[in-house]
Amino acid sequence: MVCDYYRSVESAGAAREPAVAPTVAGQALIVSKGLAKRYGSVNALEGLDLELEPGIIGLVGANGAGKSTFIKLLLGLIEPTSGSAQVMGLDITRDGTTLRQFVGYMPEHDCLPPDATGTEFVTHMAEISGLPRTAARERTAEILRHVGLFEARYRQINGYSTGMKQRVKLAQALVHDPRLVLLDEPTNGLDPEGRDEMLALIRRIGTEFGVAVILSSHLLSEIERVCDHLVEIEDGRLKRSSPMTELTAVTSALVVEAEGDIELLAASLRKHGASFETRGRYLLVQRESDDVLDWIRDGIVENDLGLVRLEQSRRRLEELFESEDAAPGEVRPG
Amino acid sequence: MWALYTQSLRVVFGIGRSFWAKAATFGILVIASLPAIIQLGVAAISPEDINVTTPEDYYGLIQPLLAIFCAIVAPDLVGRDQRNRTLSLYFSRALRREDYAIAKYAALVTAMLSITLVPQLLMFTGNASAATDVPDYISDNWQDLPAIVGSALLLSCLFGGIGIAIAAQTSRRAYSTVAIVAVFVLGTGIASAVFEAAGVGTGKYALLLSPLHVVQGFTYWFFNVAPPIEDNRQLVEANFHGIVYAIDAAIVAIGCLLLVIRRYRRIAV
Repeated sequence: MVCDYYRSVESAGAAREPAVAPTVAGQALIVSKGLAKRYGSVNALEGLDLELEPGIIGLVGANGAGKSTFIKLLLGLIEPTSGSAQVMGLDITRDGTTLRQFVGYMPEHDCLPPDATGTEFVTHMAEISGLPRTAARERTAEILRHVGLFEARYRQINGYSTGMKQRVKLAQALVHDPRLVLLDEPTNGLDPEGRDEMLALIRRIGTEFGVAVILSSHLLSEIERVCDHLVEIEDGRLKRSSPMTELTAVTSALVVEAEGDIELLAASLRKHGASFETRGRYLLVQRESDDVLDWIRDGIVENDLGLVRLEQSRRRLEELFESEDAAPGEVRPG
Repeated sequence: MWALYTQSLRVVFGIGRSFWAKAATFGILVIASLPAIIQLGVAAISPEDINVTTPEDYYGLIQPLLAIFCAIVAPDLVGRDQRNRTLSLYFSRALRREDYAIAKYAALVTAMLSITLVPQLLMFTGNASAATDVPDYISDNWQDLPAIVGSALLLSCLFGGIGIAIAAQTSRRAYSTVAIVAVFVLGTGIASAVFEAAGVGTGKYALLLSPLHVVQGFTYWFFNVAPPIEDNRQLVEANFHGIVYAIDAAIVAIGCLLLVIRRYRRIAV
């Protein structure tokens, strides 16, 4: 049992690492072959072939596309109908218990006992993961500080806002120091500010803590902001798996944002015959030649504007998806 | 598993919670101990040897409380995690589903021990300390101790098993509470009726399906006392050897645990 394992390792003065800890670096994070799950006559997931490297991976798809099923399969919470998958080199069916030592899970649904305090609950979950009581308490305090709940940690969960509850759910997924966290719709029910904070937190988990993240969302903009890699599932089938850099490739257009009346700059560019479009407070200028850069500089100076941003535009995910959806006679893979 | 067991006991006894969270369990515990406390009071005041109750009759006296206690505690232990959907957090950790079931069962058995063992031990130590010659009392009655522990443990395993096997089936507290009380009350009623209707020859086997008859049966056997005819006519007429009740209780307890393990292996989270 993990609990006994940790105790025996700690009593021997060794670190809290198992002898054969799966490593994330230098190996595939997830490899699935023909992974399928059927509920009665409904195919929740069909023959998923996938190989993912460590990083922050966005899992996108409409509600009911199979995202949660995929996550539950990876955790070993449900068994595949057919096919197989390995997470950090561990088989999801055969090595489920070992695998779950190194994985954190934040479900989409409510899962918190209302009458426990934040600190009580997260400490308990740390102990269930095998941490001795003292270590569990220390680690809980640390993780609640990271997720911004330190002040409210002794309050009962039923007095928490939705955002705070989401943070407790995230904290319990991280408290046992996993190498991979699976976050199922972590921004559900959050207001825009809470959403921004949660996404920033997830980005930090992936970059500063070095934990691999799988983040499911039905909102492309969230995936675009946080993830390095995108996996799209549609009707239980894999539609796309690509690095974000490929999807949001740099375009030839320039984004110009300036303080002052942007229309004055637009008028200057129009005089030079530059092609551009106005998008609210900024201009999207086609870089047809290097002269365009001079025209922009001159337009800014002549009109006494303050240059805020001048950068190459990246294609936005939503634009990519929209253009594909609009493509006539499109044949979708899978 | 140990962490889950201790946390479950904290839930049962409302440790770290409000007064009202403790009220039900501790209230029943105190009421269940009343006969023992009264016995102690009488023993302390009266120089005569008056028996308000005896260890072998104790469970018969507090039968309704045992059933109610089990019906209150079992849904609290397992229903909460289903109701709050916390199971998905447990099962996504390195905790095997059977470990969860065993930890919860062990917690319920421990809780049941508090209401079975505590009053009995209270009575034993009280009677011993009230006796004129304490060492004499202990040397005369020491064999009561294994009987107290054995009967309390078997009763707790049996009631705990039945309680948790029912409570694990639903997240609705009210349903499982009613169902547990119904099994104890109706089980006894139906077994008695079948016994009377079918006659001793066939009807006696119905008693083996009644938790309360079974408890009485093995308790008298543990204390090596023949069941008195006035309150236990059916037990006397059935005339099973006491060990039959003990084995029956052990089989039911183990069967219930297996049912609970099966339930948690299959439950969708």
